[in-house]
Amino acid sequence: MFGRILALIIRYKTISFGSFPRLLSIFYWPSVQILFWGFFSNFLIENNTTPYIGVLSIILSAVVLWDVLFRGQLGLTMSFLEEIWSRNLTNLFITPLREYELVFSLIIISMLRTLIGLTPAIFVANFFFDFHLFELGFYLIFFFFNLIAIGWSIGFVVSGLVLRYGHSFEELAWAIIFILLPFSCVYYPLDSLPFIMQKIAQIFPPVYVFESMRKILIDNQVEFQQLYRIIILNFTYLLLSVLFFLKMISSSRKKGLLINQGE
Amino acid sequence: MNSFVVKVSNLVKTFDTKKIIKNISFNVNENSVTGVLGKNGAGKTTLLGMLMGLISPSSGNIEILGKNLFFKKNEILKEINFQSPYIDLPKKMTVEQNLFFYSRLYGIKKFKDIINDLVKKLKMTDLMKKNYGSLSAGQKTKVNLCKALINNPKLLLLDEPTASLDPETSIFIREFLLDYQKKNKSSILITSHNLEEIQSICSKIILLKLGKIASNGNLNELLKINNYSSLKDFFLGQG
Repeated sequence: MFGRILALIIRYKTISFGSFPRLLSIFYWPSVQILFWGFFSNFLIENNTTPYIGVLSIILSAVVLWDVLFRGQLGLTMSFLEEIWSRNLTNLFITPLREYELVFSLIIISMLRTLIGLTPAIFVANFFFDFHLFELGFYLIFFFFNLIAIGWSIGFVVSGLVLRYGHSFEELAWAIIFILLPFSCVYYPLDSLPFIMQKIAQIFPPVYVFESMRKILIDNQVEFQQLYRIIILNFTYLLLSVLFFLKMISSSRKKGLLINQGE
Repeated sequence: MNSFVVKVSNLVKTFDTKKIIKNISFNVNENSVTGVLGKNGAGKTTLLGMLMGLISPSSGNIEILGKNLFFKKNEILKEINFQSPYIDLPKKMTVEQNLFFYSRLYGIKKFKDIINDLVKKLKMTDLMKKNYGSLSAGQKTKVNLCKALINNPKLLLLDEPTASLDPETSIFIREFLLDYQKKNKSSILITSHNLEEIQSICSKIILLKLGKIASNGNLNELLKINNYSSLKDFFLGQG
């Protein structure tokens, strides 16, 4: 089991970090986002548009944490799509690889890609804006794992859809996260959404993560009820998404889609 | 008495409402080379897909190496392998990285020695550091074949292994496969549209026609009984 998971991780590592342009694409965007939002927040503070000095910390924390979700999803989906693009699915599925081993491998490589992508961004934020993400303390780790788990849930759903229904669903790999963005309340509180959107937002876990983050940074308080809600929602979504992914593999076997899948 | 490496009973595959494989049964002997023939759409690829567990049968039973494919798939997959020019390996990795990757997936110990040996025999030492995506069709076939032999399979499934190759490479691959089969006492199940190739390497054939088995048996006996002088005439007459 571990040998096969290791084999896949080495493969995904080779693809993800094997060439300079690919490596650049992993850590370039998070750093650019930090610079963009950091300078913009500074501009607001310097022009007294906002009276609250902690706004920089809130916005940069939100940028980094949102990127955890985004990178987590993209890292998982892109690694799986790579198998489809390289027409490697047939060879992969005729090895003794078990489907849960594929699931674990995708999760691990997504984690590695996210950490490698975000580390330079955190240093950039620290260097240019004196921003300390670790102000969130233990809760940073809690938020990180929960946001990346949301990314995995979305990643498994998108990967399953592409496998079963074809390349037209590939666009979802990039787009789906931006459908979720307005409901996640990354940069604004839940109250600022219209009533209907608030109700929709409450179905998804990101809103509770970002609400908790603001509560900690502004009021220095932790709402444990929200943290429990995050765990329960995330566990449910992740479980359902993995089951969906496995169901799509099984359905593809019935439809004969695992032979000759590719670009 | 022969023991069978593959036992297929009452196999049916339906895609939506279209029946592709229509209740077929056959056996493949141990230590044999069997050709699966049929026109396009006869069901050859679907049959191979089901034997590898890539396509779920609608009904019927498949036993490979004495084990039921439905219940013991992972055990069986350790002992079989597949090569096709239509299925690629990851293009962005070198040949060496690809072979190491598949060795790890098959759980092969001391795989570097095994790969070195295979690479020498297949005369592809100079390809090891090259990206798979940059190889010619013939070179890719050799690499795919090396991947297919990496776990020393007891059953090797080949889908048109010499398609689009020049005659020299085709002959090399054919001779290599025969030599490998004899030395390792493996069984090979091969599909091909190259009838001369099938006639030269297969002792038994299974002829599929619209999802059913039209003929099945020893190649020479089938030709003799049906009064054909070549497999080409037999295929044109029966296929």
